[in-house]
Amino acid sequence: MRPVMTFALMTLRNLLRRRTIWGISIVILIALFGIGQIPGYGISNEGRFILDFGLFGLEIGALLLAIGLAANIYPRDKEQKTLMPLIAVPLSRGQYLMGRFIGAAMVQTAAMLAGCIGLMVILLMNGLNIPGDLFPAACLLLVEGWFLLAVVFFFSFWTSPPLNAPLTILLFILSQMPVSGFISILPRAQGFMRILRLLLPHMDVFHIKDPIAHGVGIPAVYFLLATLYGLAYMAFMLSMALAVFRSRDLK
Amino acid sequence: MKYLKLIILLALISLTGCRIDYDIEEVAPPEHLGETHEHEHDHTGAETEEHHEHDITAISGSDRHVHEAGARNHGTEWFFNQPWAARFIWSKMIRDTVILIFLAAVILLASRYRLRKKR
Repeated sequence: MRPVMTFALMTLRNLLRRRTIWGISIVILIALFGIGQIPGYGISNEGRFILDFGLFGLEIGALLLAIGLAANIYPRDKEQKTLMPLIAVPLSRGQYLMGRFIGAAMVQTAAMLAGCIGLMVILLMNGLNIPGDLFPAACLLLVEGWFLLAVVFFFSFWTSPPLNAPLTILLFILSQMPVSGFISILPRAQGFMRILRLLLPHMDVFHIKDPIAHGVGIPAVYFLLATLYGLAYMAFMLSMALAVFRSRDLK
Repeated sequence: MKYLKLIILLALISLTGCRIDYDIEEVAPPEHLGETHEHEHDHTGAETEEHHEHDITAISGSDRHVHEAGARNHGTEWFFNQPWAARFIWSKMIRDTVILIFLAAVILLASRYRLRKKR
């Protein structure tokens, strides 16, 4: 585990030196600030809109961060020829993947935490209360972000870099669809579409912005179930990524 | 070993219990979807309380009616058709979690076996 953590910290330092990450984080904060500036026009409970849009902004931020953080890691390592020396002696392929993933996940966690604090500040600035479930809701979005990070790693091993972002965004959109909506894309192949949908995650599991915005309580056990569900999908995608990486001939 | 992942995937898909997806509208018990509900009508100025089948096209004009706040009705279906509100799909979430962890372990073992065989 020690080599993985050392490599993860190395990855963290590398990623923090990149301008892309700071750019995406600043865009998320500006978007949140913009949401806070939407006038209420005298509508009661305008805080609902700020919360709803704010959490949606955090979710899109998690997607952008996942792509911005992980899409170029493996192709860059390969291009700069730093991959072979790493894998030749100190690290196995699994340790390389885990080190890179944990490093990127740490950056994503910090960025999402900053986004959540930003949303809290905006709510306070507008004289609104901070709902108790806001932090758990942001945590679920973070788990979704980790899953997306694993997806980006999988695509970075499997396809060329220009295809990575479109495929991840496509998977993100398709995973938001209900089964009936997904089948309606290709109604003739209903059975096939059902099986395909079964393999995709249900992203709505991570969305609890509506009940929070309307002041409806969420049972604590749901947070646990949704977190486990997200972590299981993340583990599945990482195992797929590692299987593809192990099958790659790097010479 | 080469086809192990495919065999396991096909076996899982062929099991009915693993095949049921959780589109809430599809798998919801009638008491969750409950088309019949209580609401107040405002036809002639006098409010009456009654139970009856709901006509979703009649939400304005002379058949305007008022619903109880926070209750499930034709306008709030989307809100209650979300996983946090549908306890009956939570067991399916646990099922998916277990299957995914199992598949991840199989994929890891299979890819390690292939790598060792290649060396």
